[in-house]
Amino acid sequence: MKVSTENLENCQIALNIEAEASELDKSLDEAYHHLVNEVSIPGFRKGKAPRAILVQHIGKKNLLDEALEHLIPQLYKQAIESQELKPIAGPQIEITQREPVIFKAIVSLKPEVKLGDYHSIRLEPTPAIEVSEEKVNAAMEEFRKRQGAWVPVDRPVELGDLVTMDIQANVDGKPWLNHKDILYEMDKDSRSPVPGFASQLQGTEKNKERTFSLIIPDDYPIKEMRGKEGTFKVTVTEIKAKQLPELNDELAKNAGYGNLEDMRTKVAADLRVKAEARNRLELKQKALDALVEISEVNYPPILEDEEITELLRNEAQRLGFREITDYLKKANKTEEEIKQELRPIAKKRLTESLVLGKLAEEEKIEISSTEVDNKVDEITSDAEDKEKAKQFFSLPQIKQSIEQSLRTQKTMDQLLQIASGNAENITKGE
Amino acid sequence: MHLYEVLRRPLITEKATSLKEKDKYAFEVAGKATESQIKEAVELAFKVKVSKVNVMTVPGKTRKFGRRQVTSSPWKKAIVTLAPGNKITFFEGV
Repeated sequence: MKVSTENLENCQIALNIEAEASELDKSLDEAYHHLVNEVSIPGFRKGKAPRAILVQHIGKKNLLDEALEHLIPQLYKQAIESQELKPIAGPQIEITQREPVIFKAIVSLKPEVKLGDYHSIRLEPTPAIEVSEEKVNAAMEEFRKRQGAWVPVDRPVELGDLVTMDIQANVDGKPWLNHKDILYEMDKDSRSPVPGFASQLQGTEKNKERTFSLIIPDDYPIKEMRGKEGTFKVTVTEIKAKQLPELNDELAKNAGYGNLEDMRTKVAADLRVKAEARNRLELKQKALDALVEISEVNYPPILEDEEITELLRNEAQRLGFREITDYLKKANKTEEEIKQELRPIAKKRLTESLVLGKLAEEEKIEISSTEVDNKVDEITSDAEDKEKAKQFFSLPQIKQSIEQSLRTQKTMDQLLQIASGNAENITKGE
Repeated sequence: MHLYEVLRRPLITEKATSLKEKDKYAFEVAGKATESQIKEAVELAFKVKVSKVNVMTVPGKTRKFGRRQVTSSPWKKAIVTLAPGNKITFFEGV
């Protein structure tokens, strides 16, 4: 075996491997012994045909193919060992010549991550969160609206009402809708059944038939109806308006708060917590972006492809498709298109995770098994069937993924510490 | 019968292959061919020297074909022994 190497970009190495004649002969012989037991040739019992007859029967090429199928992985393995390479994925093999056998194997190596001077990352501390009076008021108002009840009223229809109506609609002279007693919320921006319908209905009196027509706009979902005139015959049978409850202690009590004042403070606190969480998330992303910015990451393209596949599978699963192909059919896109779309996201995720992994290494962030166990306890504590949940979480791969996510979290926290300038103080203190 | 009609095909079977070691070759031949005709035909076709020819009639075999009994036709087999030093290769260079 002769091997020559060639460094490629992105952590890849190309091996040019040439097989010796003796190696090929041995492999051909093995291939014959293997194939002769599988091929039935008329006039011979299985496994009894001589090599010449077998070659006549199946052709020289097939025998060679079979031989190469075993020879190539074997030679590849030898080459890897002799060159002391540590591939992270299977090689891409390209056969350049058959006689003598020469092939090229592209080997993906571990990604290289060079972190920049991450100790110098400084982020502007986010401004202190202020929960303004207006925000609290808006939240209270929102709550009040949710508590509102529909009450029948005796007046013509207004926007914001809930009406019960009978409707008959024709488009271009042909019947389209015919419903009795359907509920309709008078939302000005509603696009159902056609945009502008609610405004037309405004002012209609109870139990009086009303006819009007609308031109269906050009961006309507049903193609055939675009640009045509629709006539609507509507009879409103009931009109209800939303009656908002008074914002007082009683309402607060019903919602589980002590009194109105108590409710205000709690709502404000709630808003603050949410805003803080959002701020923290933003800060984390900023820190991560900064870290990625100053770092150099090199990885073989195969990792990117794997990430894309993973993303695609998650996406399909999230939308409730069992097979990726079903999802593609539904989205009406080819696999290529969707992969192209996901590529930038995959790139970002991959670089981030590689950089974080490296950072964890540099900062010597370790996760002990007790930490994992604590996390498991925390997750399982509100499970219905505790035994079953425990069993599930004791699977090694689940534990590993928990450990992984804990490490990411811890690393992230450490990065935030560094970025906000607190890290030195801690190390000095030790 | 013309000499070209005598030999039908070589028999390439396990048994025939093992006979090659003794310089014997097996053929399916025309039903009416005689030993001397076969000798001439092989010498003409393969440019070799034949020392002996043995022939036998392989009986047809009956098989059930649905509800019918079917008999395949009997045929004639010849084992041709070549003079020492002669050789035949069938289907060379495939």
